[in-house]
Amino acid sequence: MFPVLQSNLPYLLQGAVYTVALSAFVVVFGALLGIVVGTIASAAPAPVRWLINAYVFVFRGVPVLVIMFLGFYSFPAVGLRLDAYTAVAISMVVYIGAFVTEAVRGAIAAVPKGQVEAAMSIGMRRIPMLREIIVPQALRLAVAPVLNISLMAIKQTSYASIVGAWELSFAAREVVERTLAAFEIFLGVMIIYFLICYPLSKAAALAEKRFSYVH
Amino acid sequence: MDVAPFISFLTRYWPVFVDGLQITAFVAVLAAPAAFIAGILLVLPAVSGWKGLAAVVRGFVELMRNTPLLVQIYLLYFGLPLLGIFWGAITCGVIAIALQHGAFLSEIVRAGIQSLSVRQWEAGQSIGMRRFAILRLVILPQALIKVTPALGNQLIVLVKDTSLVSAIGVMDLTLTGKVLIERSGMSFEVFIAVALFYLILTTSLGIAARLVETFVARRYA
Repeated sequence: MFPVLQSNLPYLLQGAVYTVALSAFVVVFGALLGIVVGTIASAAPAPVRWLINAYVFVFRGVPVLVIMFLGFYSFPAVGLRLDAYTAVAISMVVYIGAFVTEAVRGAIAAVPKGQVEAAMSIGMRRIPMLREIIVPQALRLAVAPVLNISLMAIKQTSYASIVGAWELSFAAREVVERTLAAFEIFLGVMIIYFLICYPLSKAAALAEKRFSYVH
Repeated sequence: MDVAPFISFLTRYWPVFVDGLQITAFVAVLAAPAAFIAGILLVLPAVSGWKGLAAVVRGFVELMRNTPLLVQIYLLYFGLPLLGIFWGAITCGVIAIALQHGAFLSEIVRAGIQSLSVRQWEAGQSIGMRRFAILRLVILPQALIKVTPALGNQLIVLVKDTSLVSAIGVMDLTLTGKVLIERSGMSFEVFIAVALFYLILTTSLGIAARLVETFVARRYA
């Protein structure tokens, strides 16, 4: 059964390794960027907040594919020679960072006001209060949204193949061009993506149940 | 990047951008209602108590939600001809987008239905309504009103996702950008312009969605 898929499976799995590596990079650094920027957004003076608002607004309003092309073409325009991977990875980190920023900012805003008042009443300053009281609770609230954003990011790494970075989807197209077995290969690739994504989407559903409240 | 050359570049290639924008809008206008209908159809088996069909639909929804839209588009566009079905790129793109977003929408609508009280069903039964009539006249309208904000967000995601039809050769805004790079040689400026057009599209939709939201909240809530 499925002879073409079987004989090309090692090649596709090699692509899957690239997909996972690219996803891990994007998710880790995108989440870090978003947590830092999101936290700054809820403590910084107005001009900084406007800048962060603009960042979130622009990157959430444009397709990730367009951001990838923009990164791919704009690094050479400023004199940087980057390969497709680096361009895509950087573009996606900035893109995912905007979504995580929004999630973290929302989570910080959702921490009950009583917590802030309690911290102020024992004389905590703004920064220790953020560090000790608000951000730890907010991160708990942000777990489920960030997992869902990660899921989105993994699926979006497939668009890197359009820009020219070799990974699972790119490998799939190569195999289909060689063998013409479009159904077999793309269905097989869908199952590989499913196996990568499904555990994460289950984790996100679980997190929604467990972490979507504060005490 | 200087502003003056960028403006002259924009005005020079304006008609080309407008053509791309029209294709993007066309794909979105076809895909959005199709996705909505798919979303409603996919939620029916679960709420109607058709166990076998509900399990199949559940599997389909999970598959759609956990695989990239790009691969789904490739599967239809490169796979269907093997079955002797030769559909155009726009058709394949619209169907793939409608199926994936239908899966996401069905989850949203299901959450809306589940948030309603069981008494809504009981009240319908007590005046002798059939199950399907209760669903159509009592449950669905209330559920849809509840999830209006989520529907608006999903619509904006859908518009952004139309950019993927460029991967199978549809001359939408994104592919227009790619082609323009070869013609104009201004790679960076082209995608700034493309991003601007998308931003205008999604922002105006966002404002429209907000207006509908407040109207619905005021009228029905």
